[in-house]
Amino acid sequence: MRYSQLVQGDLRVTSMPFFTLLGYLEIGLCIAALCAIVAKKQWKDYWSLGSFLAVRAASSTALASIMRFGRPLGASVAYNLYFYIYWISFAVESILALIVVYSIFRLAMAPLKGLQQLGMLVFRWAAAISVIVALGSAVSPHMTGVKYLMAAVSQVERTQNILTLCLLVFVCFAIRPMGLNYGSRIFGISLGLGIMSTANLLQWAGTSFDTMYSIYDVIDGVVICLVLATWTAYFALPEPKRRLIVLPTTSPFLRWNQISQVLGDNPGFVAIGGVPPELFAPAEIEVMQRASLKMATPFPRSMSA
Amino acid sequence: MKIIVRSLVIALALTGAIATTCANASSAKATVSVAKTSAMPAPVCPPNDPNGCGIFDGN
Repeated sequence: MRYSQLVQGDLRVTSMPFFTLLGYLEIGLCIAALCAIVAKKQWKDYWSLGSFLAVRAASSTALASIMRFGRPLGASVAYNLYFYIYWISFAVESILALIVVYSIFRLAMAPLKGLQQLGMLVFRWAAAISVIVALGSAVSPHMTGVKYLMAAVSQVERTQNILTLCLLVFVCFAIRPMGLNYGSRIFGISLGLGIMSTANLLQWAGTSFDTMYSIYDVIDGVVICLVLATWTAYFALPEPKRRLIVLPTTSPFLRWNQISQVLGDNPGFVAIGGVPPELFAPAEIEVMQRASLKMATPFPRSMSA
Repeated sequence: MKIIVRSLVIALALTGAIATTCANASSAKATVSVAKTSAMPAPVCPPNDPNGCGIFDGN
C-alpha cells in the first residue's frame, strides 16, 4: 500500500482478505444471533431485531456471492446487481431498525403502562416527522433518480441513528426505575445499536469515496462484527430477572404513569334524542316500558300490586 | 460499573452529535455521502459504472 493511498483512506491488495473475512464473519454472526433468539424463544419480543438480522444475513450473503462468483457476469453487470441489492436491503434495514428502536422502548417501559403508551405515541410522531424531513432534505439541485434514492435512504438511516442514540441515553439513565440492569437484553441491544449508530454517524461525517474499499469500511466492519457478537452473547447467556420496581409514592415516574394511564381513554356516550325504537331489542323496550310505568305510578301502590 | 457505562453512553451520544454537526456542514456539497451499516463494501459509484466501481479488486 502506498502512503498516498493510506492518507486518502484507500486500501488495496493487502487488506482484501481481511475485508472478505469481515463480510463472512458478519454473515456468520447474524445467523448465530438469529439462532440464539429462536433457541431462547425470544422471537415474540424481539421479532423486529430477528427480522433485521435475517435481512442483513440474506443481503450480505447475496452481496458476498456476487463478489465471489460474479466475475463471469462482467464487472458492470455484477456491480449493477450489487448496487441495487445493497440499496434495497439498506432501505428495508433502515425501516426495520426504526421498528427495533420502537419495540425496545416498548419492552423497556412495559412495567409503566401509562408512560409506555405516552412514550410510544410521542415516538411514532417523532419518527414519522423525522422520516418526512429526511426525505425532504434529500432533495437538492442536480440530484435525481438513483442519486435521490441513495440520499433519501441515507437520510432515513441517519434519522434512525439519532433516534437510537436518544433511546440509548434514555435506557441507560432510566435503567433502575425500569427494573433493568446491565445484563438485561434490552440494555445489550440498545448499547449495540448505539455503538453501530455512532460508527455510522462518524462515517457519514467523513468524505465520500470513489472506491468500494476504504479504511473506514474496515473499521466499520470490525465495529459491526463486535456489535453482532455482543448481541449473540446477550441472547445466548441467561438473562437476569427484572427487579421488583419499588417507587416512592411521591415519585414523578409514578405520578406521570397514573396520569398517562387515563389519557386517551374512550369516553362513554349517551343518546339524548333521535333514537328510533328499532335500535332496541324487544326485551330492552319491555324493561323501559315497565320502568316508565313504575315511575308514573306512586311507589307504595306499585309495591302493593 | 455504573459510572463507566454512563460515561461510555455519554461519549457515544456526544460523538454522534458532533458527527451529525460535521455531516450537516459537509452536506452542502452536491455529492452523496454514504453511511454504511454493513461489513460488506458500500457501492459508492453510480450504476452502470464502466469499471464496476472496482468490485473485483478485492478478489
